[in-house]
Amino acid sequence: MRSIRRSEARATLCVLATLGALAACDDPRSGPRFAGARGDDAAPRRGGTFVFHHESDVRGFDPHVAFDELSNMGIKLLFDGLLDYDHELRLIPRLATALPEVSADGRAFTFHLRHDVRFHHGRELEAEDVRWSLERMLHPSTASPGVAYFAQLEGLDDYTAGRAPHVRGIEVLDRYTVRFSLREPDQTFLNAVAMPFAAPVPRERYGPDAVEVARHPVGTGPYILEEWEPGIRVTFRRNPRYWQPGKPYADRLIYELNLQRETAFMRFLSGDLDHVHRMTPADRLFLGQNAAWAPYRERKADADLWGLEMNTELPPFDDVHVRRAVAFVIDRERWSLARNRALAPLGQALPVGFAGHDPQLPETQVRDLARAKAEMRLAGHADGLPEPVTLWIGEGPTGKAYGELAQANLAEIGIRVELKPVSFPIYLRETGRPRTAQMIFGGWSQDFPDPATFFDPLFHSRAATPTDSTNRSFYKNPTLDALLDRARSERDASRRTAMYREANALVTREAPWAFAFSNIRLEAWQPYVHGYRIHLVWSNCFRDVWLDLPRRRLAQRFAPRAGVPAALLPFGGAR
Amino acid sequence: MIQLVIKRAAWAAVVLFLVVTGVFLIANAVGDPAAANLGPRASAEQLRVYRRAHGLDRPLSERYVRYLGALAQGDLGRSLRDDQPVTAVIRQRLPRTALLGSLALFFELCIGLGFGIFAAVRRNTWVDTGVMSAAFVGVCLPSFVTGPFFLREVAFRLGWFPVGGYGRDALDHVYHAVLPALTLAILGAATYARMMRSEMIEMLRADFVRTARAKGASPVAVVLRHAARNALLPIVTMLGLSLPLIVTGAIITEKIYDWPGIGRLAIESIDALDVPMILGIVLLASTTVQIGNFFADLAVAALDPRIRAGASR
Repeated sequence: MRSIRRSEARATLCVLATLGALAACDDPRSGPRFAGARGDDAAPRRGGTFVFHHESDVRGFDPHVAFDELSNMGIKLLFDGLLDYDHELRLIPRLATALPEVSADGRAFTFHLRHDVRFHHGRELEAEDVRWSLERMLHPSTASPGVAYFAQLEGLDDYTAGRAPHVRGIEVLDRYTVRFSLREPDQTFLNAVAMPFAAPVPRERYGPDAVEVARHPVGTGPYILEEWEPGIRVTFRRNPRYWQPGKPYADRLIYELNLQRETAFMRFLSGDLDHVHRMTPADRLFLGQNAAWAPYRERKADADLWGLEMNTELPPFDDVHVRRAVAFVIDRERWSLARNRALAPLGQALPVGFAGHDPQLPETQVRDLARAKAEMRLAGHADGLPEPVTLWIGEGPTGKAYGELAQANLAEIGIRVELKPVSFPIYLRETGRPRTAQMIFGGWSQDFPDPATFFDPLFHSRAATPTDSTNRSFYKNPTLDALLDRARSERDASRRTAMYREANALVTREAPWAFAFSNIRLEAWQPYVHGYRIHLVWSNCFRDVWLDLPRRRLAQRFAPRAGVPAALLPFGGAR
Repeated sequence: MIQLVIKRAAWAAVVLFLVVTGVFLIANAVGDPAAANLGPRASAEQLRVYRRAHGLDRPLSERYVRYLGALAQGDLGRSLRDDQPVTAVIRQRLPRTALLGSLALFFELCIGLGFGIFAAVRRNTWVDTGVMSAAFVGVCLPSFVTGPFFLREVAFRLGWFPVGGYGRDALDHVYHAVLPALTLAILGAATYARMMRSEMIEMLRADFVRTARAKGASPVAVVLRHAARNALLPIVTMLGLSLPLIVTGAIITEKIYDWPGIGRLAIESIDALDVPMILGIVLLASTTVQIGNFFADLAVAALDPRIRAGASR
C-alpha cells in the first residue's frame, strides 16, 4: 500500500513537472518568428513561393461560370480583364490601353486592346477573342450567373434565343478594337466589363467540355495553373510571357485548401503560411491587439450588408410599423461588442464608401427602444405579438450567435423569436421562395463598387422571383423601382448619387431589412511579404505580392526545438 | 470452414446493401446538391443545367436503380464536387490514410505491448500502477481532446512537429504523420496495454513458463520468447478488428490535423452533399469493417476448433 502511495506521488510530480515545463516556455504567439532579408524599405524582387490558405474548396477556374470567392481568387491570378479596379476602387484599364471611348448618347463603349498581350500558351490576344469569350459566357449552354450583368447589350435576346449567331452589341472593329453597344445607357456596364465574366479566353482552348475548361484554365493573367489537387492544394507558377515587365514577382503561389481556422492560424504564426485572413474570434482578438503584428496587419470594413430580412408579404412584417419596430430595437453596438468588434454597425441600405451612403441620413436605423415600442403601438401590438416569429439562420455557431442576439433584442418589444437553423442549401432554396421564410438573418456582398449592386438585387421588384429570389424580403415599391431604373442610366455623377441617396432614405425608412452591420476584415501577413493590401472588390488578390527572401528567423526567447535536427524541421528553411 | 466463409460473405453483402440504401436515401433527403456545390450566387439556369448534367432532375427511385446498376459493374460514379471518378479520388486519398493508419497501428502496438509487458513483469509496483493509470486515462481521452492538445502544445508551442498539413515529399509526409498517428494511437495503445498486461500475468503464472525458468532460461527469454509469444494470440485477433482504421482513417483526427485522407474527404463530401462520394466512402468503410471482422473470425476459428465445429453445424 505504501509503495502505491509513493508511486502516485511520483506520477503526480511527473505530470506537474511536464506541465510546468510547458508553462515555462514563452508563448510563441508573442510576435512574428521571421523577418525579411533586407527590411521593409527593400525594392521589389522576384522569386520565392507565397503560401496562403482558405477554409473551403475551389469549385473551378472557368471565369465565365465561377462566382464564389475562392474560385475568383484564383481567377484573378489566371485571367486579366479589359478593366480592373485600383485600391481606391477606381476603374483602371488592364488589357485595354485606356478607359473606353463613350459615345455621345452613352450607349456605346469602344475599347482599344494592348498589342503586347499573350495568352498563357503563347498566342496574341485579339479583339475577336474578347467577342468570342463574352458570347461564350452569354450563351445559354454556359448557364453563367453573369448574364444578368450584360442584359443591356444590344441583340442579346436574339442571340440567347438562337435567332442570331452573334450578339449585335459586340462588334470587332479591327484586330485590337472592340465596341459594346447597349439598348439603354447603363452606368453599371463598365463594372460588368471589369468582372471576371468578361475575361477573354483563347477560343481554340475552350471547347464544350465545361469540366475540362474549369480544370485547365488558359488566360492572360500573371500566373499559370501548375497543379491542382482537389480539396488539398492549388499551385500557380509565374507567367513568363506576362505583358507587364518585371511582374509578377513571386515564382509560385500556393493555395492550401480546406484548412481549419485554428490550425491555419497556428501555421501562420509558425511561419508555415504567409498570410492569414479567416480566424476564430480569440485569434482575431489576439492578432488585432498584438503590437508586434501591427505593421503587418490591416483592418478594413467590408463592402457588405448584414441584417434581418423581413418578408413583407407575410404577417406581421406586411405592416411597416412592425418592421420599423424591429429596425429600432436592434442594438447594433451590442452586436458589435458581442462579436469582438469584428463588425461595423450599419443602419442604412448602403455600406460606407458607396455613392448614396450618408452618415447623416435622418432615416438611419438606430437603437431607440421608445420609438420601437411606439411603432409597435401604431401597429396595434402594444403588448407584443401573440404568436412567435420564425427567424431562419444558417447552421453553425455564427448564425446561432446572431439569432440569439436578435432574440434578445426583439423580446424587448414583445416579439418572441423561434430560431430555425437550416443547412446552407436548404437556406438558399427556401428563403428564395415567396411566402415561405418569415424573417431571415442574411447578408449581401458587393459584386462591384456601385450602389446598384445592393439596390437592384435586394430591393427592386424585378428581383422578387418565384424561385431563387435575391429580393428575399419580397419588397415591391414602384416608386423605388422607377428611381433605381433612372439612377442606373443617369450619366451625371452628382445627380446619380443624389438619386441613390433618395433610394437609400426610402428603403431605410420602409425597413424591409433591419440593417445591422458590415463585417470588418482583418488580415495579416509575414514581415517578409510585401506588396499586399486588402482590396475590397477582389478578396485576397496576391498578384503583386513579392517576398524579401531568404527570410531570417527572429530570436525567440525560448528554444523550442532543442535536440531536433534542423534538417527535419519544416519551418525556417529557405522558401 | 468453407461454410463459415460463405455465411460471412452473404451476411456482408446484406449489410452493404442496407448501408448503401440507407445512406443513399438520407444523403438525397437532406438538401440540394446543386445549390451546395454551385454556391449562393448560382443562377436558376445554372442550377437547372447542373441538375440535368448530374442526373439530379430524375426521380429518386430511378437514380437509386441506376446507382445500383453501376455499382454492380464496379462503377462508383463521379463526384458532384469536381466531376472526378469517385474511385480515382479515393485511390488518391487512400495511401495517405493508410500511411496515417499504419503508423498509428505501429505506435499502438509498440506502446501498448511494450508497456503491457512491462507492467505485467513489474506487477503491483508503482510502475504497474503508473502504466495502468495512464492506460485508464488513455482509454478515456477522445481524439478531439488529445488532438488539439498535441497540436497546440507539442507542435505549435514546442515546435517539435509541424502544425498540421501533409508535407511535400515522402519523408516529410511521415514527419507530418507522427503527431496525428500518436493521437490516433492513444486509445488503441491503452487498450492493448491493459489487455497485454492481463494476458502476460496469466502466462507468467503458467506451468510452461515455470518449466522454462526451471530449465535455466534467462528472464528476458522467459518473458519475451515464452510468455509474450503466447500472450500475443488474442492481440492478433484484435489486429483484425483494427484493419478499418488503416483504410478509413479517423474523421476527427484528420480534420484536426488537416490531413488530406479519407476522413477529411468524408467531411468535405458531406459539406458539399456530394452523394456519390459519400456513398463511395461509406462503402469502403463498410467493406473494410466486414473484411476486418471476417479475418478476425477466421483467426479465431483457426485458433479455436470449437468455433469451426460450430460453423459447420
